[in-house]
Amino acid sequence: MSRAGAAPSQTAERAAIVGSGLTALAAFATLRHGGLAHEEIVVFGTDADPTEQWSRQAAAIRQRQMRSESDGHLAPADFPGLALRAAWRRRSLRPLLETASRGYHPRVDDFLAHAAEVRARSGFDTSFRRRRIARIEAVDGGFVLDGDGPFAHVFLATGHPGRALPDELAGDPRVVHAYEPHDYASHVAIVGAGMAAAAEWQNALAAGSSVVSVRRREPVRQALNVPRPLFSRRGLAAYHRSPREQHAATLRRLSAPSFPPDERFDALIASAAAEGRFHVAAQLNGAEQVIAATGFRRGFRHDALLAGLVDRHELDVHDRWLVLAPDSTVPGLTDERRTLSVGGVAGQWAFPAADTIAGAKYAARRFLERVCRTR
Amino acid sequence: MSYTLKGRIESRLVSALPALIVAFAIHRWWAVYLVAIMLAVGAALDATVYDRLISYQPAWLAVPLGALELALLYGIMRAIPIHAPLDAALALFALAWLSAQLFAHAALPRLQLTYAEAGGELGRSGVLAAVLVPVLVFIGVGGAYATRAPTIHLHGVVRGPIVVDRAETLVGGTVRGGIVIRSSHVTLRHVTTVGGVNGIDVENATHVMLDHVRVLRAETDGIHVRNSGVMVEHCMVADPAGPWVQGIDISYSIGRPTSMVSGCTVAGVREGIVTHSAEVNVMDNHVLDTTLRGIVLGEMSMDMASGNDVESAQGVGILCLDHSMCQIDHNVVAGTKVDPSGDPARAGVAIEAQYYAQAAVGHNTVIASPGGTKQYSSSTITR
Repeated sequence: MSRAGAAPSQTAERAAIVGSGLTALAAFATLRHGGLAHEEIVVFGTDADPTEQWSRQAAAIRQRQMRSESDGHLAPADFPGLALRAAWRRRSLRPLLETASRGYHPRVDDFLAHAAEVRARSGFDTSFRRRRIARIEAVDGGFVLDGDGPFAHVFLATGHPGRALPDELAGDPRVVHAYEPHDYASHVAIVGAGMAAAAEWQNALAAGSSVVSVRRREPVRQALNVPRPLFSRRGLAAYHRSPREQHAATLRRLSAPSFPPDERFDALIASAAAEGRFHVAAQLNGAEQVIAATGFRRGFRHDALLAGLVDRHELDVHDRWLVLAPDSTVPGLTDERRTLSVGGVAGQWAFPAADTIAGAKYAARRFLERVCRTR
Repeated sequence: MSYTLKGRIESRLVSALPALIVAFAIHRWWAVYLVAIMLAVGAALDATVYDRLISYQPAWLAVPLGALELALLYGIMRAIPIHAPLDAALALFALAWLSAQLFAHAALPRLQLTYAEAGGELGRSGVLAAVLVPVLVFIGVGGAYATRAPTIHLHGVVRGPIVVDRAETLVGGTVRGGIVIRSSHVTLRHVTTVGGVNGIDVENATHVMLDHVRVLRAETDGIHVRNSGVMVEHCMVADPAGPWVQGIDISYSIGRPTSMVSGCTVAGVREGIVTHSAEVNVMDNHVLDTTLRGIVLGEMSMDMASGNDVESAQGVGILCLDHSMCQIDHNVVAGTKVDPSGDPARAGVAIEAQYYAQAAVGHNTVIASPGGTKQYSSSTITR
């Protein structure tokens, strides 16, 4: 499957990470934890601060608390989690009791502060090169990234391929995407039914607006992005064994918008509805402002780097997904001497919650195993 | 965490290691048996209940599941039976439970990054644990079985006194002239003694179990314990050979493991159950018709008397004496009689503290005992 091109001169780096967001930081920290030196890793990306894009989006929807739990952090090992750190810092047992009963969700500030620690401690900045990689070429024993390399092991953490905006909203001057900075008009229509939409309902109501929730289906209420067993081998074993069509059907089902059950949130919405400030509608009306809480584009085709890689190397795909091995590697381009792994949302075929922190670490840990195996 | 069945069992085996090491280190076979039963109960629950019913196990669930496993373990211990000191057995269980929590939430996720994602499976370490831990348990249980104390069944009436100077178990029979125990790890079960200076005499020994023994016609003490740790359960001491005979006397045993007298009936002796300089739990006994006192916790002892019925004692029902610290609760003291001597401290007192003793009393029932509850000679009673 690989097409050996002319191998440029060998570099000192053995592993490359393409992308510089949260997934990239998780992968870098994991490799460092596994014993790789800075000099053995290079990170190609556009943002020197791996939390920049994510924190901008979180700020746009005024997110204060994570959906993830105590282990939703970017350090390589799950222990100690953010609950224990918070308990230590605040000299309080409350975060530990909350995490024991699944009620602990880190504050965004705490998550970002810890991410900054991980970044500093791992030496992320010393391995970072500001550069957008446009082409990956498989060569004998590795991969060439826009002429650099070859690197024996490459981890793709390219992130979401842009924000999704329904066609009917394109060009409408009233429309702002939820992840762009915005204020709230007095009459707001919010399109979508996931986490961002739920946050925007609260924000708009708090700003005194009346809200129309435009959605085609009722949101699923679940604590995490996917059911908990799918974060471990208990649920993943059957998922990995399932035939392709079933595999894809599971991913389609899991991509339905969802947000966690929360009694206070429900009471707020019910109260606003009783006051006539919250309505549900199937389509847009004449609202002054339309907030598109419609998430991100879906599928590898929207990512030029991945699309080019698939086309050049005729990689196995199914519908909008890149077909990966259970360890998040690209089967056609991974062998005893080289590894191409996919982390983040593009890695959903291997791990349905790939676009979460747990997903980032899942791919990163398996990447580390492969890198260590060939040391 | 969402465990796989394999992950549950591997995690359980690995986290049993601290308890297993302690069990070997303290050289008590009951501890090895206990760890073996813990593992067997846990693995059975993993396979038949937990794996089927619990797809995701939040941390708080470890508390009720731990309580369930403790209850099953206790039931099995009683059924087999395994004669383990309750406090030490509970401590060992607590160690195992705590180890399981620390391993699952801290050590294993730290040592193996993929621990949670792997559903608790440990890869090669898990396979090693799956072999090593059962082998260690097998060696321990096998060693305990191979070196267990011999059991000797007595039949009919045996002329005594019998001197027991090695670890062994005597079962059944009637011994005339009493039994003298001079070794640790001795058990008497369903043995009757008739006569003897002391019915059963235990000195300088620990882990002695007297289970369902009957002591008749003793000349000094029914059960006489010095510098020892004993467990006396469901005994009977009665029909003394003279007016000065004491029922059960455990003395000068501070520094030895805590003794226990439980479920015994002591009748017609001078003092029913008496301690001096000892740590004894006196629980759920029936003491009646004593001519001096029913129960005495005396001479710098640190004792507890709980759930006992003391009937028709002459003078004093329960006495905390001479610098002792006593906890006296949930007893029934009935019909304590006024001593004809005219001593107010023996005027049918149900519960009494004497001579710098400190007694904490609560929830006792006093019936027809004219002296009530009293303290004398710089003693204190707190309620």
